[in-house]
Amino acid sequence: MNTQENSSKLNDTALGLIGVIALFAIWEIVSYTGIISQEIFPSPSQAVTATLTTMPLSEIGGHVWASLTRVFWGFLIGGSLGIIVGVASGWYAWVGVLTRPLIELTRPIPPLAWIPMAIIWLGLGEPSKIFVISLGAFFPVVTSAYKGMISVDPVLLRAAQTMGLKGWRILFQVALPASLPDLATGIRIGWGLSFGMLVAAELVAANEGMGFMIMHARELGQVGIIIFGIVLIGVVNLVTDYAIGVVIRRQIGKWHTY
Amino acid sequence: MNALFSLSTTTKSRLVGAVFIIFLLIAWEVAVDLKWLKIYKFPPPSKCWEAFVELFTSGFPIEQTVDIHIGWTLWRIVQGYVLGCLLAVPLGVVIGSYSLLDKLTAPIITFGRSVAALSLLPLVIFWFGTGEAPKIAIIAYGTFWAMIAHTIAGVKFVDPLLIRAARTLEADQKFIFLHVVIPAALPRIFVGARVALGVAFMVIVGAEMIGTIQGLGALINEARNFYRADITLIGMALIGLLGLGISGVLQLLERILLPWNKGLEEVRR
Repeated sequence: MNTQENSSKLNDTALGLIGVIALFAIWEIVSYTGIISQEIFPSPSQAVTATLTTMPLSEIGGHVWASLTRVFWGFLIGGSLGIIVGVASGWYAWVGVLTRPLIELTRPIPPLAWIPMAIIWLGLGEPSKIFVISLGAFFPVVTSAYKGMISVDPVLLRAAQTMGLKGWRILFQVALPASLPDLATGIRIGWGLSFGMLVAAELVAANEGMGFMIMHARELGQVGIIIFGIVLIGVVNLVTDYAIGVVIRRQIGKWHTY
Repeated sequence: MNALFSLSTTTKSRLVGAVFIIFLLIAWEVAVDLKWLKIYKFPPPSKCWEAFVELFTSGFPIEQTVDIHIGWTLWRIVQGYVLGCLLAVPLGVVIGSYSLLDKLTAPIITFGRSVAALSLLPLVIFWFGTGEAPKIAIIAYGTFWAMIAHTIAGVKFVDPLLIRAARTLEADQKFIFLHVVIPAALPRIFVGARVALGVAFMVIVGAEMIGTIQGLGALINEARNFYRADITLIGMALIGLLGLGISGVLQLLERILLPWNKGLEEVRR
């Protein structure tokens, strides 16, 4: 049973791989036939060579690193604030009464729309970018943390009380672990949004990072680098999202089946 | 005391919430009056109200009144959104119907979704310049991936029991497809429509920050260039309201068009 499942999974992966290779092959061939000018839409191999000949690997690595540090700090700040506010507003009724309306009023505003305000408040430097990225993480996390807290099974809480657990220990040992699956969803959505904000923030104003890399390439007309950079951003997003997914399954899967 | 034990949000708590917000607004006004907060960075509610009136009467930048901005933003969203849906839904139905195609394209679709639509901005500007086309193109891109992923899932995960029941009743392939598969897939497709609209709305604000002075995204960015934080704040509020309005309309549409759809909350992700 298990080996069968494994082999069919392997099969799916192989088919997926074939699909990806086919896509690149078609793209490459179309590009060589000259239906679309290579100066407008270069083939994958041209995009890679164009990038590697104009940009040393260390420079590309530097852009990736700059972006990752930014998104990490933004996500950390926004996510932690989201957890604190979300959990507090679910646990203490008065915190909920005061913060929920504020959050519900500001949540429909896409985090991107905060970019001009962030620049007015914090200038064009690093803090405004981190602020916008942190907003991308904050809203999904705060909402899911709150939902997780208020939907904790009351039986669990009463059971804990009956067994003599009090106050904060109920929160940390019962309510929080019970709300983790909701929180996990929020964290993954938050990471995706943070990443989107990162790219936007770097397009508007930056002097390093993957978003800057492609915007700068546009000014110089290096379309190969633009395409390479777009794919690079997608790959980094996918890899980091996968890594977060693995960590979440390991940590939270202890209590819950996904 | 504890929200977990006293769940019901009564009118009383809503009232307290509203009073708290009013209190914050007054505190903000006073803080600016006392020069604790700089007026050009934190324009108080009274100044924002003046900006609101200005936007409706003389417009910002001059002559560009608020209806022009909203109109442009909506028009761009509609064009890109419709284009994206028209491409994604038929393609998604085909891919979802054939398991082999689905397996071949699965990683491509996952990847397409994880490429932030805005990262395409430099490329579409390179291709189409800074006019309308690049903005519509990236909205279509964002819409496309969200729509296609949900359409495939909708067609793929139709309850096999429904199909078997139809077969037992001797319905032919075409009938099953049109009268069983498609109606059963529609709720998920509608979830996709809502997700895609969220994406489109997010992307347009970013796209309008480049190469135009019309549209809500352009409005808040232009206002920033002139240090008009009051206009920026009003613009942000309008963007939020517009987003709420559009998703409300979509929900209404869903209820009218899909009366058989009850279990949507389960499907929702």
